[in-house]
Amino acid sequence: MASAANSLRLCLRATSRQISVRPAASPLLRRTLTTTAAQCARPGRKKGWKDPSDNFEFPDPYDGKVFNDLGEQLRYSLENDQLTEAERVTVQQALANWENKPNEEKLEEQQIIKEIDKEFAPLRAPVRARRNAFWNEEEQDTDLITDEVGEDDFEENDMMAMGHAKLEEHREYREYARIAVWEMPLLSKFAKKFEPPKENEVLRFRYTTYMGEFHPADRKVVVEFDPRDLFELTEVQRNKLRKLAGARYNPEKGIIKMSCEKFELPAQNKRWLGDTIARLITEAKDPTDTFEDIPLDTRHHKFKSIPRFPKEWYMSEERSRELLAQREKSLELDHKKRQQRELIDGVKVIQQGVLSTVTEREPVAVRVKAR
Amino acid sequence: MSATNCLRCLGRPSVAGASRGVVVPVFAPRTAPFSTTAIQNALPAKGKSGEHQDRSVRVYRAGRKMTFKKKHTGDRGKPPAPGERKAFRKKIVLSNDNALPVPWVTEMEASSLSNENKVGTIVSLPPAVQDQLRATEAFQPTQTWGLFRKPSTLIRKETVELVGKMEKATANKQTARVVLTGEKISGKSTMLIQAQSYAYLNNWIVIHFPDAQELTNGSTEYAPVPNTENPTLYMQQNYCLKLLQSIKKANEKILAKLLTVSNHSELPQNIPVNQTLLSLINAAKEAEGAWSVFQALWSELNAHGANRPPILLSMDNLPHIMKISEYRSASFDKIHSHDLSLVKLFTEALSGNTRFPSGGAVIAATNRNNGPRIPSMELALKQRLAEQRASQEETVPVRDPYFKGYDDRVEKVLKSVEVMEVNRIGKREARSLMEYWAASGLLRTTVDEQTVSEKWTLGGGGVLGEMERAALLTMKI
Repeated sequence: MASAANSLRLCLRATSRQISVRPAASPLLRRTLTTTAAQCARPGRKKGWKDPSDNFEFPDPYDGKVFNDLGEQLRYSLENDQLTEAERVTVQQALANWENKPNEEKLEEQQIIKEIDKEFAPLRAPVRARRNAFWNEEEQDTDLITDEVGEDDFEENDMMAMGHAKLEEHREYREYARIAVWEMPLLSKFAKKFEPPKENEVLRFRYTTYMGEFHPADRKVVVEFDPRDLFELTEVQRNKLRKLAGARYNPEKGIIKMSCEKFELPAQNKRWLGDTIARLITEAKDPTDTFEDIPLDTRHHKFKSIPRFPKEWYMSEERSRELLAQREKSLELDHKKRQQRELIDGVKVIQQGVLSTVTEREPVAVRVKAR
Repeated sequence: MSATNCLRCLGRPSVAGASRGVVVPVFAPRTAPFSTTAIQNALPAKGKSGEHQDRSVRVYRAGRKMTFKKKHTGDRGKPPAPGERKAFRKKIVLSNDNALPVPWVTEMEASSLSNENKVGTIVSLPPAVQDQLRATEAFQPTQTWGLFRKPSTLIRKETVELVGKMEKATANKQTARVVLTGEKISGKSTMLIQAQSYAYLNNWIVIHFPDAQELTNGSTEYAPVPNTENPTLYMQQNYCLKLLQSIKKANEKILAKLLTVSNHSELPQNIPVNQTLLSLINAAKEAEGAWSVFQALWSELNAHGANRPPILLSMDNLPHIMKISEYRSASFDKIHSHDLSLVKLFTEALSGNTRFPSGGAVIAATNRNNGPRIPSMELALKQRLAEQRASQEETVPVRDPYFKGYDDRVEKVLKSVEVMEVNRIGKREARSLMEYWAASGLLRTTVDEQTVSEKWTLGGGGVLGEMERAALLTMKI
């Protein structure tokens, strides 16, 4: 228990410890550009206040002395401090300098030190959040480069941002227009005549470029080839090649299409594709298993049937004559039926039917009356 | 003891304290001073006959009971009795007295359906045949019999072809095995009716399964047939009884003349030799034992050397028996439809394993509207069609090697059947049909080539049902 109490006491002491006071900081001993306060300012504590619980004391080189000027301080340190030889030389020099200075300069220097202290006082004071502040709203952002005050104000001396954007757009158009007029025609020098691929040029590669921009897909290389162009293979071997290609085979077009983006450079990917195709061909040539017992799998491919207008339906002279003949025939048939009174008119039939039912019923009614 | 009133309240005049000296207005107890609500809930209105007629709905909301009165919407009448709705749905009307009789329509004769000269004519069904067809449930409520004076059918090219096949088969004591396919409402079921009418008129025995769906969709009772293993067969006794009764009703005259050739002691009622087949059927009085009676009848009908009439075995909605049925075995495995004994009987006949002694026909019609898609059946039918055409250009389609949904049993059954496509009708047939419609007073136009052509085109180029929809059923909602 005693040890616990002791450790607590030590902790408390450590937190409340203060750096011992070094009054009358001299320009020599002070780092010129520091924002750190020599001492944490605490309200209600006088200078030189010491923690009464603290028995240990940091050595104070000046023993709590207050100096009026730099010369006094230097002299004191020459007398009392255990300085090394080199330090002693520098301090003596500084003292000599100080004493050689005219009085006005000394005063001026002291005045400057005072001013600096005054200037830095608010910086050194630790900024504490106000108790009743909401989310530390009023805290000043010391990291800002500018003070951001009135930056967005429009002072009526320039175009608006949209106008600038429009101008920029025009500049871009004109830049490309210049390219189109002046530089593009020069490209025709590089134009090559199209030559259809020769018999031994079976593979057809496709590369992708994003015009110098970096893109993850710019390394991709795609190759297409038709197994029917590989003349050295037999039909059985070709079929084996198709089966080996699996889902890369398009049964509608009969083309195998493969791609590679494994490696960093298109050339590497192309090399890989070439090697793979070479391996496929050697495997297809391998007579140990010809895969003839396995049907070609086309489940990966969706066959599209594009409905086309039937050829028979196109109107030709012959067809129109045929139709005319049919129509004449049907007209003739109707005419004949009309003449023979065999043409059936639904409305007339209904009228006759209604009439006949009426005439059928009437005699029954008369008979009842007669009785 | 704590005080009931707090001390502060003691200083104020309370009602009890004031009542001693001062006159205080008397409030009804426990009411809010400004409220239009009745002090007490009204009593429920008493019914006329003393029965409970409280139509209010009680809801408990926020701990309070709230009562809402339902609006009285008048007497709704009695709800339909059980089975009444189905009866209405399945009702078959075969005549319409308001329709005009068509003078040129003759009655169907035994030979008229196989007469090629009669293609494109309309014949009416004889009343006896109508009763027989009713008994086998061959008419369907979706067909338009109820519009006309007498039930009549158009003799189509396909009808003559089908009946010709039946005729030819029986002449050689063979069995014609035909599957009818075709588009929706193109007349496949009507073709079945025509085939049946031909059979009735020529004194065949007709066994018709009106809807294959009823056999396999798990709607009738089933039980394993005793002593069957690998595979276990299942009998549907209730369905069997119904089927026996329809067979009896439809073929009564012929069955009364046919005599048994063997002794059936295993039946609920002992049937000795030389009894009529009608009495054999009559032995099935209950569902129990119906399957054994049916088996006995089937063996009698197929008895060789007994001079039996030809048999027509027909079924509508074929795809329903070409799939796994909805039934489960005792170990909860799915039962294939072909393991149901009645279905098996039909498939055996369709595949040609059963040979009828005097020949006959097995005719099945597919359905497109409500039928399941059976890849094996579709493939088999396509194959048969391609084989029948036997053209050089067309190759017989084969199975997709990577498709799993094929069924060997189905393909085996359909391996050697004839497939007939019930196609669209020609304009000549369409004209005679439309003349019949007009003469019945159902089509209010002049039937000339133009109208015929118009309706023919509207009806998908001569799909009969579609033509009916375009011309006759325009008012049907």
